[in-house]
Amino acid sequence: MIKKILIVDDSPIARKIMKTCLPKDRGYEISEATNGQEGIDKYLSVKPDLTFMDLTMPKLDGYKATEEIKKIDKNAMIVAATADIQPKSLERIMALGAFTVLKKPPRKSSLEEILDKVEKQLTEK
Amino acid sequence: MTLFSDEEKDILQEVMNIAFGNATADLAEVIDIFVVLTVPQIQVMKISELPTYFEKNIHGFERIWKLDQEFWGDFSGSGFLIFPEQIGKSLVELFGTGDLDPTENNPFDSLEKEILLEVGNILVGACVGKIAELLDTRVTYSPPIASQGECSNFARLVENYDSDQTAIIMKTVFEFENHNISGLLFFITSQDSIEWLKKSLYDYLESFDE
Repeated sequence: MIKKILIVDDSPIARKIMKTCLPKDRGYEISEATNGQEGIDKYLSVKPDLTFMDLTMPKLDGYKATEEIKKIDKNAMIVAATADIQPKSLERIMALGAFTVLKKPPRKSSLEEILDKVEKQLTEK
Repeated sequence: MTLFSDEEKDILQEVMNIAFGNATADLAEVIDIFVVLTVPQIQVMKISELPTYFEKNIHGFERIWKLDQEFWGDFSGSGFLIFPEQIGKSLVELFGTGDLDPTENNPFDSLEKEILLEVGNILVGACVGKIAELLDTRVTYSPPIASQGECSNFARLVENYDSDQTAIIMKTVFEFENHNISGLLFFITSQDSIEWLKKSLYDYLESFDE
């Protein structure tokens, strides 16, 4: 079951939009990180059930952060939240172990669909 | 210049990020190319400050290709793409010459220009189009114009603009992976659009509450 969510994005607006779109009635505990390195550090300290990972970020991008987190925890549930929808970008992040991709800007309906898929996946584990 | 608050710049940056991501995906559909994106940067300045800005931000190029495309509507201005001049030959290789014979009616320079115009049209057009879509308006475009020139003469890039006019620089540097090509995309937004833009940015943010 999803309790803790980590949002990794350098844009404060993207993080705000993501928080706005998450269902309010599910009691999620939300943490935030502003770049890939901070995302890894927060992942280790928070141990989120689900991480939303932007791909284009300063310091450490979302590809490298995803790769590092998957090395630390192969079961990490990471959803790439990105505006970079080039097929090769999506192939690359999926190959690094992302569960799926959420195209920016997120919509409440697509986000809920992803949350349901993640819940199902976590239940089956 | 504090024409835009930090929050307005942050919203603009996120809108620009989404728009350019969409534009590169459109380009990838046309040619087999992967564009490495960087975090876009937003700056506001007077047109008269632009040549100095270009000198600081476009280094390493001796001669450049400049593509510009005007757009009109609630959101009006010009989009610019700047590439090092050698990009032309690399793009011709990527596109292939197709049915065109560069040795006869289509000299290589002309072919380069046609391909650059197409790339510029896709990147600027798709980017502006997505910004307009996100901000709930529509724009019309003029055809893009491509020109070559010395990198040292940046003042010529903006000679047609009023030096007191405000430029919103939405800069993103990008690279075509494995092709050693990088460029700069930026927009100059018309003074008339600024109040509309500020309001629309907040409307965009509020639309997620609905």
